[in-house]
Amino acid sequence: MTGRAQSLLWLTIGIIVLIALPMVVKSSFAIDIFIRILLFSFIGVAWNLMGGYAKQLSLGHAAYFGLGAYTSTILQINYGISPWIGMIAGGVVAMLASLPIGWLCFRLRGPYFTIATIATAQALMLIFLKFRDFAWGAEGTTIPNLGSAPLMMQFETKASYYYVALGLLVLGLAITYLIERSWMGYYLVAIGEDEDAAEAIGVNAPKIKRDIYLISSFLTALAGTFYTQYIYFIDPATAFSFNISIEAALVSIVGGIGTLWGPVIGTVLLETTSTLLQSWLGSSIGGVQLTVYSLILMAVILWRPTGLMGMISEAWHRFASRKPARATP
Amino acid sequence: MWETIAQAVINGLLIGGIYALVSIGVTLIFGVVKIVNFAQGEFVMIGMYISFFLSSQFGIDPLVSLIVSMPVLFVIGVLVQHFLIRRVLGPNDMPQIFLTFALSLLLLNLALMLFSANYRTVHTSYSDEALHLGELYIPVAKLIAFVVAMALSGALWVFLHTTDLGKAMRAAAQNRDVATLMGINPNRVFCVALGIALALAGAAGSLLMPFYSAYPFVGQVFVLMAFVAVVLGTLGNVIGALVASLMMGVAESLGIQFVGADSGLIVVFAMLLLTLAFKPTGLGGGRAR
Repeated sequence: MTGRAQSLLWLTIGIIVLIALPMVVKSSFAIDIFIRILLFSFIGVAWNLMGGYAKQLSLGHAAYFGLGAYTSTILQINYGISPWIGMIAGGVVAMLASLPIGWLCFRLRGPYFTIATIATAQALMLIFLKFRDFAWGAEGTTIPNLGSAPLMMQFETKASYYYVALGLLVLGLAITYLIERSWMGYYLVAIGEDEDAAEAIGVNAPKIKRDIYLISSFLTALAGTFYTQYIYFIDPATAFSFNISIEAALVSIVGGIGTLWGPVIGTVLLETTSTLLQSWLGSSIGGVQLTVYSLILMAVILWRPTGLMGMISEAWHRFASRKPARATP
Repeated sequence: MWETIAQAVINGLLIGGIYALVSIGVTLIFGVVKIVNFAQGEFVMIGMYISFFLSSQFGIDPLVSLIVSMPVLFVIGVLVQHFLIRRVLGPNDMPQIFLTFALSLLLLNLALMLFSANYRTVHTSYSDEALHLGELYIPVAKLIAFVVAMALSGALWVFLHTTDLGKAMRAAAQNRDVATLMGINPNRVFCVALGIALALAGAAGSLLMPFYSAYPFVGQVFVLMAFVAVVLGTLGNVIGALVASLMMGVAESLGIQFVGADSGLIVVFAMLLLTLAFKPTGLGGGRAR
């Protein structure tokens, strides 16, 4: 009971700090980095629901990021519909797309599932590149700048974008928290451990996988809309960028796959590293960031497959178990 | 009309030979070690850069540099198996997928840092030569690449079916536990499998160099082709991968001819998705471990 009260206390302190952060830190460079951390944590959390708990290792989540981004942008530019509504619409489009994509990809397991998800995201990018009728082809388009228009998800200060991203992350974490503690969470972990065994004891694996894919793709699409509104630009290469798919999986694995806070911790580590690298080396040399990311990923896989969360909980147990040892000499 | 189709088929078969070298490597690693090597394309890229630098620094013909690129990549393959892949072999998918994936990212971005994103080409005396057969023409560089690729594939088949080591590899592919009981050292067999697979990727790189540009992302083109070919041709099956690769080459070439210049990849994805939709059982190894 005290443990629960303690974690609630920490959570409250954490939320207060995060809300106060943009009021204290005024540098727009720093806030930009915070927004990136919040956004990629959120994408990681969305990926982790399916990739972490159910171990369906997708490298195609850019498909839903892009669909979310394009749906809201098309609705906004062609029909004047607010991106707040477009965001939900994008989520629904992503969910609808996840049904046939899941139908195809879930026939495969292990590495071939991963390859199939890469192929679907790339195929979607090619479609948006090639067919100029319903989007803008390879050139993409800029989002008209309306100045301060909160109803159109456009703000004067970066701090406002920060709060939107924070809201998304809290939503993602809350959903993960609820799922983790529900029957669905246990089914997901069972599927992740051994799908055949899970089915043998009566878990309807295809249905559970479909449902979690729906939730995961919906959340990823929200991130796509937000990102497009934040950078005021969209084209197939950014919206369906393979790097989005990579980063979603990477932050979760480095932070701790299948844990609530893993994606957040992973993103903080990777984004901080990348920012430090850029300030040391400048952004002139291509490939530095991903070189370092891939080295971190390899190190985690070879030495700490449970990720940073595993290291933290190990350290915590060692710390906790020292106390009674001192009490009984 | 018939000449156009015949010409497209010839072009497809010639490039399909290169796809075959890459996919045979992927399928060999999958068959023996039971992992999918996401970095196979990056080893083709390394082979290309080896040939490029040997050619630009010492004027060595890319086809001659085959005798450098293949052994170098064989050694890299043994090292990759011994120091990286050996440590993640087990029932868990995640480390296996993301280890070779991380390796692919690492090699690609190292190349980007060291060699920049520029396209590097080697111009040889036979780069522009072509044989004429009536209306049809066959580029000499691609023909040489195709012939060497087929010869190497044939040599691999002979190796797998006649030598003790080759038989040991096929035994380990069929049943690792029983093969170990028969006195086969699995790690040694795996090292050789990785070595051979990477040497084939290196050969593909050298053979490509007279008519294709080297750049850091070049491997991605070939590895996607290889994955589709390996899925089509049943996992772990060398002959299947070879035939499927030639088919892929022809399909891509016909797609370029009749749908549009940039539709090659669309054809590839369409073939992958059709395979998944209608013949997922042909993916045997993807379902069972």
